[in-house]
Amino acid sequence: MLPVIDIRNVHRIYESAAGYTHALKGVSLQVQRGELLCIMGPSGSGKSTLMNILGCLDTPTSGTFMLEGADVSTLTDDELAELRATRLGFVFQSFNLLPHATVLRNVMLPLVYSDCPVGERRERAVRALRAVSLPEPYYDHRSNELSGGQMQRVAIARALVNDPAVILADEPTGNLDSATGDMVLSTFTRLRDEGKTIVLITHDPEVAAWADRTVHIRDGRLLTDEQERALLAADPTVRSST
Amino acid sequence: MRIRDLVYETGSALDANRGRSLLTILGIVIGIGAVIAMTALIGGIKQSLVGEMGLNQARMVYIYCWPGRDITLDDLTALEQRMPEYECLTAASLANAKATSPTKSVDVSVEGVLPSYFKVMGAKTTQGSFYTDEDESASALVAVLDQAAVHQLFGNPDEPVVGKSVQLNGVSYGIVAVMESSSPMSSNGTVWLPFSTCASRLTGNWAVNDISGLAAEDADMSTIASTTKDKLVSYFNMDEETADEDIYVQTMQSVIDELDAMMSSFQLMMTAVASISLLVGGIGIMNMMLTNVTERIREIGLRKALGARSSDITKQFLLESVCLCVVGGVIGIVVGYLGSFALTGLAGGMLDVGGESAAIVPVIDVQSVLMATGICVLIGILFGYYPARRAARLDPVESLRYQ
Ligand SMILES: Nc1ncnc2c1ncn2[C@@H]1O[C@H](COP(=O)(O)OP(=O)(O)OP(=O)(O)O)[C@@H](O)[C@H]1O
Ligand SMILES: [Mg+2]
Repeated sequence: MLPVIDIRNVHRIYESAAGYTHALKGVSLQVQRGELLCIMGPSGSGKSTLMNILGCLDTPTSGTFMLEGADVSTLTDDELAELRATRLGFVFQSFNLLPHATVLRNVMLPLVYSDCPVGERRERAVRALRAVSLPEPYYDHRSNELSGGQMQRVAIARALVNDPAVILADEPTGNLDSATGDMVLSTFTRLRDEGKTIVLITHDPEVAAWADRTVHIRDGRLLTDEQERALLAADPTVRSST
Repeated sequence: MRIRDLVYETGSALDANRGRSLLTILGIVIGIGAVIAMTALIGGIKQSLVGEMGLNQARMVYIYCWPGRDITLDDLTALEQRMPEYECLTAASLANAKATSPTKSVDVSVEGVLPSYFKVMGAKTTQGSFYTDEDESASALVAVLDQAAVHQLFGNPDEPVVGKSVQLNGVSYGIVAVMESSSPMSSNGTVWLPFSTCASRLTGNWAVNDISGLAAEDADMSTIASTTKDKLVSYFNMDEETADEDIYVQTMQSVIDELDAMMSSFQLMMTAVASISLLVGGIGIMNMMLTNVTERIREIGLRKALGARSSDITKQFLLESVCLCVVGGVIGIVVGYLGSFALTGLAGGMLDVGGESAAIVPVIDVQSVLMATGICVLIGILFGYYPARRAARLDPVESLRYQ
């Protein structure tokens, strides 16, 4: 089967006043439909860089990225925007909700850009909020009146609302207690069972345990679980950098 | 992104910054206010001028001439024959007298005028009818009062006085008509007598003080002043050199031209004030929009990450600045219209047409409201475009990382 995500030999070099930073050094990764993939790695290893590329927010310096069979590098800015609106859902580490807008308005925001008819929006937002089990009385609260766990559930509902093929989540449970975190993760596994492809970034091995597959990223290079274990066995000190 | 979404986003963004927005649009309010006040004022002046003018008044010509001797009625007849461009010429002699009614006694100005005078002036009566050629040739003791004189003598401008009499310097005249006056309560009264009656009874002198003419229907009003002057010079054998000082021909057209000249300098001044404050206002809008963009960098990054195109972001910020300007413009239109009432008091004194200052009511038309709104939209686009493009060009990854 054609992988939903297929990146090959991707490099990303940042240019800044301080010089060049080679954040990704030839990364190749395939993710199948209905797979829950976990990416682990120490701070500064290039996780967010990879995530931005997978989310079509950033483009690789070299290498190819096929999303659902389409070559992303040939798309125009507007086509990339449409892809983000309709095929991708983001869950950011810092939630990134509009603080003064209501919960419903926040969840409906992506629908504004995917040309969803106005009449359908509320219903779809409510369905997404039910999927993350946010109690109904909160729907009309402003998002800055919610707890961290509630905000994260709103952020996940926002990622779901357009019924995307791929959900990308950067440390979605980083700010949550373990019970709420488990609830969020079971939401992800249910979505995976419904056929969505989910990529999530984490530091936490317990979170990684929920995943179908885990890859490790070190200094801009990907390692499989086995390679990682082999590396750790050879030199246990590397673990401390995580 | 649908129109409805754009409107919603704009509404909530403006709502969130209400206080700051109001301060920012002050420049626009002042600029548009000045433009509207000016146009409402000029519209009012023009309208009151047109209202003042009777049907004939556009064709009325006032002639002052001093050929070095008195002008007689015979001169007038001779001039009338030499000037076919006039339908008729009429004469007036001026005097003052003490007028007495059964109850009161006041000083009035008296004009001895031929019956044709009323036609030339396009005068209207509120009661009775003007005296005739028979009264003129019989030097009849008849008088026409204006409403102001009726007000002074009888206490009420609409008092029925036709058939009653008024004494001028002790001689009794029968009142045949009352002439409409634009401000009967404020001005002093005027009494009109037949020219011959005035000459024989009041002045003892048959000289013509003023000549007025009614131009023929097909006369060229733009050249009538100079042809009249030339004909007067040749008829009276006047010195060409001094003719400019001794002859003055005023058409209604020239009054309007003078007024227009005065207005256009006034207009120029107001336009300068308006454009400067619109420019300052526009820069204020731009500044606020740039601040807005900086404050909302994360929001912009988020919107882009959720699928907003650059054009969606441009539209959103552009509409915001256009709305700001239009709100400023609408406030400015209201402020300007109210302000023009204050200005009419000022302008009423400057504008003194036909001896009586006309009451001016500011006039505002749909056209100038639409134009003011259009200017606001234009300013919004002009000064909002750069900030909007800046927002649209932001890199989503950088924007999301922005603290
Ligand atoms: N915009 C940028 N300009 C220059 N260098 C950058 C930029 N973004 C990231 N980098 C560099 O690229 C490398 C990878 O950064 P990245 O944000 O992908 O790390 P990460 O794995 O997400 O780390 P963390 O777990 O701390 O979030 C780092 O060395 C970082 O300094
Ligand atoms: Mg990161």
